[in-house]
Amino acid sequence: MKLLIVDDSSVVRLAIQRDLENGHIAEVDQAADGEEAVRLYQEKLHDVITLDITMPRMDGLTCLENLLKINPEAKILIISALRDRATALIALKRGARGFLCKPLNPDELREAFELLLTD
Amino acid sequence: MNDQDIRIFITMARRYFEALEPKPTLVIEPPFLRDELGPLLEYTGIIPVSGRCEGAVCFTANGDMLETILALLKDDRRDDAAKRDLVGEIANTLSGNAREEFGSDFRISVPNVIVGPRLSADLRTGGRNYAIPLNWRSETAYLLVSLK
Repeated sequence: MKLLIVDDSSVVRLAIQRDLENGHIAEVDQAADGEEAVRLYQEKLHDVITLDITMPRMDGLTCLENLLKINPEAKILIISALRDRATALIALKRGARGFLCKPLNPDELREAFELLLTD
Repeated sequence: MNDQDIRIFITMARRYFEALEPKPTLVIEPPFLRDELGPLLEYTGIIPVSGRCEGAVCFTANGDMLETILALLKDDRRDDAAKRDLVGEIANTLSGNAREEFGSDFRISVPNVIVGPRLSADLRTGGRNYAIPLNWRSETAYLLVSLK
């Protein structure tokens, strides 16, 4: 299984990678902004994507739309500090499969990830 | 921005430190209101805010505290780049979480990070300046809020 982690913070990217490391994941890629994420996804079509919203160059909600244009079935989990209901609803309406708020709880992250895999 | 709104930021700071360790030891004591925005410690993450409020939310801390937080996050790095990244991410998390109360028109931008006690002129918003001391494990960081 291929995982793409998209966040402008390397601290967050490494934490997500560490929390999700298990037998399921054969390959992990990281992107620091939406543009890099779209480029990597076009190349490798990852099975699961974790996606931040507030990022430079291309924000997560725009990136979400672009990823879903490449593959409407893409499994995308939003992980954002934006803790308001409206933003979560927009992301889910646009096609995200889940929404987690920072600061990250590793157990919640693993649970959301497992749900995505069985979805 | 008023004293009641500042409680929202205090709640977000408590939540962040509670997520770091099972028995958080964060102590927050007033007064918070200051004539000028500051103090700025070794590393400062600045989040420009627009929409409902104009100004900035900053998290400022010394390297020692950031290294302790990196260790709790099981991040082995202790270099300058990791500390810059972390201070910006904490500022982003605290201000982004505040949208739970302020709503989505509390618009935040990506963090700017400065090292050292420099105060950028664009941080002076003309609003009231609050410095919330975050006393944690014998270190003090500050959550700075200047919004109007």
